Amino acid sequence: MNLRMVGCTHRASGVDLRQQLAFGTEQTSDALARWRERFPTAEFALLSTCNRVELYAAGAGPVEAPETDELVDALLSYHGVPTKRVEGQILSLHQREAVAHLYRVAASLDSMVVGEPQILAQVKQAYQRSVDSGAAGPALHDLFQSALRAARRVYNETSLHKHRVSIPSVAIADFASRVFERFDDKHVLVIGAGEMAEETIRYLQDAGATRIHVVNRSPERALELATAWNGVAVPWERLWDELAAADLVIGATGATEPIVMAQRFERVVAPLRQQRPLFILDLAVPRNFEPEVGEQLGVYLYSLDDLAVACERNRDARAAELPAAEQIIVAETDAFMAAAHRHITGPVISGLRRNLEEPKVAELERLFKKLPDLDERSRTEITQFADRLVNKLLHPPLESLRDASQEGPPHGLLDALRRLFRLEE
Amino acid sequence: MSSGVNMLCFTASFGVALALEAVGLWARPRWRRLAVVAAAVAGIVAQTWYLAERASASPWAPLSSQHDWYLSAAWGLAIVYLALVLYQPRAAIGLFLLPIVLALIGAARFASTEPMAGTEMPRIWGILHGVFLMLGTIAVLLGFVAGLMYLVQSARLKNKAPLSERFRLPSLEWLERVNARSLIAATILVGLGFVSGVLMRLALRDGSGLQWTDPVVISLSGMFSWLVAAEAFRLAYPAARRGRKVAYLTLAGFVFLVITLGTFMSSKSMHGRGGENVGAGQKTVGINPTARPQRAGASSPPAEVTP
Repeated sequence: MNLRMVGCTHRASGVDLRQQLAFGTEQTSDALARWRERFPTAEFALLSTCNRVELYAAGAGPVEAPETDELVDALLSYHGVPTKRVEGQILSLHQREAVAHLYRVAASLDSMVVGEPQILAQVKQAYQRSVDSGAAGPALHDLFQSALRAARRVYNETSLHKHRVSIPSVAIADFASRVFERFDDKHVLVIGAGEMAEETIRYLQDAGATRIHVVNRSPERALELATAWNGVAVPWERLWDELAAADLVIGATGATEPIVMAQRFERVVAPLRQQRPLFILDLAVPRNFEPEVGEQLGVYLYSLDDLAVACERNRDARAAELPAAEQIIVAETDAFMAAAHRHITGPVISGLRRNLEEPKVAELERLFKKLPDLDERSRTEITQFADRLVNKLLHPPLESLRDASQEGPPHGLLDALRRLFRLEE
Repeated sequence: MSSGVNMLCFTASFGVALALEAVGLWARPRWRRLAVVAAAVAGIVAQTWYLAERASASPWAPLSSQHDWYLSAAWGLAIVYLALVLYQPRAAIGLFLLPIVLALIGAARFASTEPMAGTEMPRIWGILHGVFLMLGTIAVLLGFVAGLMYLVQSARLKNKAPLSERFRLPSLEWLERVNARSLIAATILVGLGFVSGVLMRLALRDGSGLQWTDPVVISLSGMFSWLVAAEAFRLAYPAARRGRKVAYLTLAGFVFLVITLGTFMSSKSMHGRGGENVGAGQKTVGINPTARPQRAGASSPPAEVTP
């Protein structure tokens, strides 16, 4: 198998380039069809996310996959991006490095937020699109299936994915879930309509929240956010009523002063709530809620600082899991490469053995006919001698083949062996 | 024929389950959860066997004596624990529930094995009285555990304690629900137990009447009154339906229960002779061989049972 990967990732290229080279769903199918037409003997898969654009190409033989330059050209020319534009920002990997890279990507070890779960689904999707477009074959099938297996092993055998590290995910999974058993019947109030509010809503909806009310000083922006997430936009004047009715509140406005004062909360909201639990995520800087609000009975107030401490702790916990995860990647890569090499060298090894076995058997028969008086013990000894001789003769070429396989498919050596020993294809 | 199952068997099993729960505070190997379930199941099977043996030896068992009554309550609570371990596998519920199971078994060890009821007592009322009070006790204890866990979880959240894989508790919402339902169930069951005890006495018609000054009757009346008052308070005052208030109500219910059980064990009452014939759990079966069912009108010991 000949495997190559070219592309750009968040590690080496800027967001501008990644956006320029990104592929939508339809573009992916179109591009795969075009590349397949240009390189008919090769298989292709394209992984395009906000953090990476990676093109994988594989061929069964040494010349059946395009060269790196050809792949880079194929990738850039689709978007009309000049080569000069990507200088120093394109990552190209070959064989083992390409395999290990895909495994690390699928296991989320190469992600911007290590351990984030979305990438595995994106890798699956990339392979599925390749299959649907007819661009995937047996080589990429084996590669992607083993990548998914490696990712699953990392997921199951390490705690890497258990420790959340983004502020909203920690807030919902590590804290809100200790207050509420479920979120589908909870009244969620979002104060503000910025990016942080939106990201938190995404996590809440993943957790099952459906009743989302958005309050914002700008009603247009509130309506926009509410519409995007099937929520309800509520006028700013109803903030205090909403606070009394809510179960979970997210504060994410850009206000320079707290907008929920402890005194007013105690006077207006607390009597209406009757100590019903209220979980408040104050994700704004500066704070939207006075810290004293958290002293009310039944109120659990978390600021960005409180959550940042938990995030940092989780980040450290993830870092501690990385060596174990990397070990799994190395083991899986070794297994894949060994299987791939066996696949290539297998017919040659079988041919070599057959070429020596047949004359051995023939010579033994001839010898035993000439010496009919040999007893059974002598015959066994002679047969074993012949077996050992064949094995010793085979040992050096097989050893050389194995050594050469460490570097990649030993096509040259395999050709030489075929010619030297007149092995049939 | 005795199977050789004794109190030590299930005490040790529940002790192992509790030790494994405690180990979870430091390390959580994969086998631990399975071992906890296995230990709990082993304990329940052994205890069921033990109670069944006692039931086969006594017409009134397994609630014929204080000893049996405590063991039955521990058995019920152990089943609740097993169900919760399976329903909330990551929560450290055993750390709160198993000590109570072991405490009930310990109480059984020192409780009287003498029959609580005379043979002249109507059997059906006696069984109902014992079963309702035992279930009521389980409900009060479950509410107490849920209330305790609620307060711990609430304090951890107030103090912004990070999520710990090694010490997890159910959500406040779940604990509050269990707490409230336990309080309702305890009120109803203790009430039914109380009423069935009164009816049992009334059904006796031997002229002995209800003995309201009996220490156990007084303490049980106190606990029942508290449960009714707590439930009424909970229904009338919305803030008491949720959060820490309902947790405090169930904690207070537990205090009343401890007083009642203490009286039950320590004082000479119609419910048994506290402190006498202790050391059960060995080969003795908690039934007086002379206390076999007798024909009505036959000579029998004085009535000993009231609610």
